Amino acid sequence: MICRVSLSNADFEGLVTAMSQVSISARSHTQRTDRIEARANGLLGDCRRAFHAFGDLDELAENLRILSLNAELAAGRAGDKGRAVRALTQYTRELVNRLAQIQGEMNTLRRRTFALSSTILRGLLQMSLFERACGLVDDGEHDATAKAAVDRAFSQIMHMLVETLDDMANSVGDLARRAHGVEEVVSQSDSIATNIAIEAAAAGVHEKEFRTVSDTMRHYVDDLRKMIDEASDAVRRASEKGESLRRLGLDSLGDLEDNC
Amino acid sequence: MKCVTLFREDDHCWQAFGQDPDKPDNVVDTNQYVIRSGSAAILLDPGGMEVFPSMLAALTREISVDDIKALFLSHQDPDIGSSLPLWRRVCKPDVKIYLSWLWAGFTAHFDRDAVFTTIPDEGMEVSLSHDVKLRFIPAHYLHSSGNFNVYDPKARILFSGDMGAALVPADKTNGSMFVSDFAGHIQYMDGFHRRWLGSTRARDAWVAQVSKLDIHMLAPQHGLVFKGDDVKRFIDWIAGLDIGSGVASMNR
Ligand SMILES: [Fe+2]
Ligand SMILES: [Fe+2]
Repeated sequence: MICRVSLSNADFEGLVTAMSQVSISARSHTQRTDRIEARANGLLGDCRRAFHAFGDLDELAENLRILSLNAELAAGRAGDKGRAVRALTQYTRELVNRLAQIQGEMNTLRRRTFALSSTILRGLLQMSLFERACGLVDDGEHDATAKAAVDRAFSQIMHMLVETLDDMANSVGDLARRAHGVEEVVSQSDSIATNIAIEAAAAGVHEKEFRTVSDTMRHYVDDLRKMIDEASDAVRRASEKGESLRRLGLDSLGDLEDNC
Repeated sequence: MKCVTLFREDDHCWQAFGQDPDKPDNVVDTNQYVIRSGSAAILLDPGGMEVFPSMLAALTREISVDDIKALFLSHQDPDIGSSLPLWRRVCKPDVKIYLSWLWAGFTAHFDRDAVFTTIPDEGMEVSLSHDVKLRFIPAHYLHSSGNFNVYDPKARILFSGDMGAALVPADKTNGSMFVSDFAGHIQYMDGFHRRWLGSTRARDAWVAQVSKLDIHMLAPQHGLVFKGDDVKRFIDWIAGLDIGSGVASMNR
């Protein structure tokens, strides 16, 4: 006769909970992987922060566009007194178009950067697993082919990582250029706001209307500046980390080749 | 990781790998199997990425990775094949990867570059060597909806995937890879089969199907291997088990 002993619910749930709590920290890392992983995580964090800082760029560009339309209407109402403001608003519209273009490029760049990050994270995970395998196979009990296979795989991953980190460093460079583009828009918008304020002083009954435009524009410029400040700090850190990671990867590759 | 030879006749051999003492406790224990004939080997359910380093180290004590001609994934679970991209890095580029047609696109999430040889629902036969033929036999819905066992008529071994799986706590293993006390082993399989299996129809069909096979060993992907009379005991036990226990938690 078969005796059926059921695992109690608590026991069973305990096992299942243990099964479902897969923690990465349980994995043992070695120093080389650790260093690369820590820096890569820092790099990805900085990239995320930079993109996050530019998160409201499209909204600001849209606000600026609406402001320039309203300013143009106000300039039309002011007749001759609004001629200079009309020219300034047209210039503002060009800046808005620049911002929209930068925004589009930034979106493409964001997709590329996140695709690269996922490749890097995958590579790091594989590298740490192969590093563990290297340690286990290098015990004097395995033949040379086993060690060669593991070393080959490890070095393939390292190559892939170095290449991806290279692409990532380029992406960060592109991001820095876009950030610089926004900076130029900011300083030009700032002088447009100043000029509109000057025109306002001579606009008589239209002064209040033009001053509102100039004040609102300053407000947007301040927001853009804040964005730039936040982003450029992240971009600068990302560039530094990207460069040091690339060097670390290249050094590791060098070590691998020396050992072969 | 432990390696136990289940069968050996000339150069035809089955080996089981599992009970890795270095495995983190929160990662469910799995068995990986390799069938060899001459210089051709197939790896059955190569395992999750977490066990890959120890599995690779254990396997390469026995065979060269160049001998691995094929990988077989019984179904799509991460404990079965999340190591796939890692194996492909060490195996020859033409290594075959067998998997139910149902899961090819899903398993690509583990490894987008893998090329699968998909198994049709009715299963298929493959030749490992001139005289060792393996049958991939359907075990759908047990528990996965696209699921296969592997039967080796010559060795009389059935690799049963999650059928027969047991979650044996590490402190309850006695060092053996085999069930020695079937009645005492039930407690480690009971909850698993009741909850993980959902289809009584599929279970009945599986029981009818495997009852026709000459099986000396039934080798599951978790827990211990059934040998001799314990194979029949397991089949009789599962045939009468009340499964699909998760249904009770719905519509409450
Ligand atoms: Fe499963
Ligand atoms: Fe499983």
